[in-house]
Amino acid sequence: MNKWFKSGSPWIWMTGGAVSLSLIAVLGLLLLIAWRGLSYFWPAEVYEWQLRDSSGSESTLIGQLYDREQVPTARLESAGYEFNPYPGEFVTRYLVKTGNREFVGLDFRWVLGTDIVSESLPKDLAVFERTKNGNFYGYPVAVIEDGKRLPADNLRVMLKEHVQRAVDLNDDAMTLQKQDIGSINYELERLRLKERGYELDGELTDTRKTELELARQALNDEYKVLETELFALREAAGRDGVVVRDMRGQEVTLNLSQVLDVTYPNDMGLMTKVGHWFKSVGGFIIDDPREANTEGGVFPAIFGTVFMVMLMAVIVTPFGVIAAIYLHEYAKKGPVTKMIRIAVINLAGVPSIVYGVFGLGFFVYMLGGSLDQLFYPEALPAPTFGSPGVIWSALTLAILTLPVVIVSTEEGLSRIPSAVRQGSLALGATKAETLWRIVIPMASPAIMTGLILAVARAAGEVAPLMLVGVVKLAPTLPIDMNFPFVHLERKFMHLGFHIYDVGFQSPNVEAARPLVYATSFLLVTVIVALNLTAISVRNHLREKFRSLEH
Amino acid sequence: MVEQMISIDTQAINTDARDLSNLAPAETALEIRNLDLKYGDKQALFDVSMLIPKNQVTAFIGPSGCGKSTLLRCINRMNDLVDHCHITGEILLQGQNIYDKSVDVAALRRNVGMVFQRPNPFPKSIYENVVYGLRLQGINDRRKLDEACERSLRGAAIWDEVKDRLHDNAFGLSGGQQQRLVIARAIAIEPEVLLLDEPTSALDPISTLTIEELISELKAKYTVVIVTHNMQQAARVSDQTAFMYMGELVEYADTNTIFTTPKERRTEDYITGRYG
Repeated sequence: MNKWFKSGSPWIWMTGGAVSLSLIAVLGLLLLIAWRGLSYFWPAEVYEWQLRDSSGSESTLIGQLYDREQVPTARLESAGYEFNPYPGEFVTRYLVKTGNREFVGLDFRWVLGTDIVSESLPKDLAVFERTKNGNFYGYPVAVIEDGKRLPADNLRVMLKEHVQRAVDLNDDAMTLQKQDIGSINYELERLRLKERGYELDGELTDTRKTELELARQALNDEYKVLETELFALREAAGRDGVVVRDMRGQEVTLNLSQVLDVTYPNDMGLMTKVGHWFKSVGGFIIDDPREANTEGGVFPAIFGTVFMVMLMAVIVTPFGVIAAIYLHEYAKKGPVTKMIRIAVINLAGVPSIVYGVFGLGFFVYMLGGSLDQLFYPEALPAPTFGSPGVIWSALTLAILTLPVVIVSTEEGLSRIPSAVRQGSLALGATKAETLWRIVIPMASPAIMTGLILAVARAAGEVAPLMLVGVVKLAPTLPIDMNFPFVHLERKFMHLGFHIYDVGFQSPNVEAARPLVYATSFLLVTVIVALNLTAISVRNHLREKFRSLEH
Repeated sequence: MVEQMISIDTQAINTDARDLSNLAPAETALEIRNLDLKYGDKQALFDVSMLIPKNQVTAFIGPSGCGKSTLLRCINRMNDLVDHCHITGEILLQGQNIYDKSVDVAALRRNVGMVFQRPNPFPKSIYENVVYGLRLQGINDRRKLDEACERSLRGAAIWDEVKDRLHDNAFGLSGGQQQRLVIARAIAIEPEVLLLDEPTSALDPISTLTIEELISELKAKYTVVIVTHNMQQAARVSDQTAFMYMGELVEYADTNTIFTTPKERRTEDYITGRYG
């Protein structure tokens, strides 16, 4: 036994075990969120159940199975259920998504296994994905075109064509509204600000007034034309409808302008399902959110996260590197420098919400407020930079991650062999020339390491961002086609905050839960992608300067 | 071992013994006058004075810690980089004291090139390593750089080995090649004096031989000062040798004289291997 201890085997087992545990934890986490998140997009079967409850009344239930759990019979009996015959110690309870929110109130329902008389998977059952009120489940009966019921032969093809037409028209209307009408509104706002600016400067002459008025008139005329076009498109999209028989047996007419897609999950082969899965995942990534973020995609959040992190990286890297160069190369070695270094390292330990508070007070109110007074007085009292925005979020996170960059850059600088520095100095280079031509390029892998750590930390921060720029729903992206194209003062959406919002602030918790997993998985993917990019850059640099290894 | 060394020595060197304490200014490359150096409280050089003749190879020998490298690094003011290093006395290069306040250190180092113990190429291509000093001077004309690169690499006897891969990373070269590359880099800016600080101590015997041959060629154009641990090397390559001990210059004379008829007891003890 003693020999075994001396051999070092227990030590190897212990260290190896720690590594394995960490690995299992990471993989388990990834697998869990990936499985839960990605299976959400799989087109699940739609069941039709015949139910008979304990009082003997019968009903039909149509929906998708979401979850199941075992409930002790005793607990159900004490809650007032009666069982005849006795079903055993446990009863299975199913969570069913029934959709049809406008008719049944809640679109999720718990069903006891003992109540189910029969279950079937009719191939004709359709799922309607809608822009409002969630999914609708039922049997399509007929297509209505322009108020007339069309003959019901070849219903599926006909329905598909009509849905596609409405979707196309709606897309056109959306593009028109967002781009053309959006930019007219933006121009009008700019005219208003210009007028207000002249007014503040006391330069609002009559000629200018007429000029502005003319410009405004022209824009308004243009707007009217586009508005008519938009209404025409919307009306055309709302021309058709579909008659659906729902689980109550009633025929309901749905307007096709609200229908995004019709699928028959029970009639899909494996390949169709896979295709549908990819389509749904793609839609999740590139679409805007709908219905208080519980439906649709998360594109603005992905864009906001990546944009903010990149902006932060652009700010923090030069700052951190310059500070580290001063600390390591120029500052006199003494107690003061040592204190500063300790302070910098300790900055990394300050809770992030504190940085959020600081960002709100210093950046948003002080800096942003002053900027508004100096450069945007015409918009006041409405703030331009004086309210939370993406630039302030990036700055706050830059401060938060500054210590990481400084520490790893300093480490990189101290690892450069003094022989190389002296070689450069001996050739007549000054210290600054040596820094620029030799030292900083050789320290660049270490700088990249700092940047990787900074990005990893920043992309996962949510708390400070809630104070300095993140919102639940941002109507516009920080980059668009309106001059000056990059709008750093705008608020933005963030995947981390999106998870919190969908998971805990949503009116429909059951519907949102898979989205929480899917969004988490996406956030992890985004961070991993950002890191992998930085790591590949670093490896390239390392390869270039591999002299440090010997 | 001593006998063998001496036999090499008498064959190789046939210069007439000169009076090294009284050289004509035209023959003098460097004059060191009463140099004292202290690292903090610890004195490392005691009142060193010597004349180093032009276009010759001068070797500093002595046991470890005797101050020979320190003395060498005074000549291009590399000791300035060391904290708490205090120097008194003068070193004259072309009649100008290099420790004068008006002297531009970078300009001095362009005139006094240095090669270190371990090869220290920059993490750049061979070509960029050689033209580094020229680029520092603002020379970016491609033709001038190409010319200087070839001339320096030929001067360092490495041109034939690297001419086909000038734009490969310098770390791909062997240790001996790297050291010759570093010499090429130093002579690319055409210094007057070339300081070699134990240039072969990290190299294998064959590379050492190549470098030694190179040193003998270099003295046609440059004044070479070399620090070495290896007495055979000093005997093979140098014209005059200075023996240092405990921060003092004990004896300085023609290599021939030092190795055959040293005046000082301490010199004799060292070269016959009694200590060091």
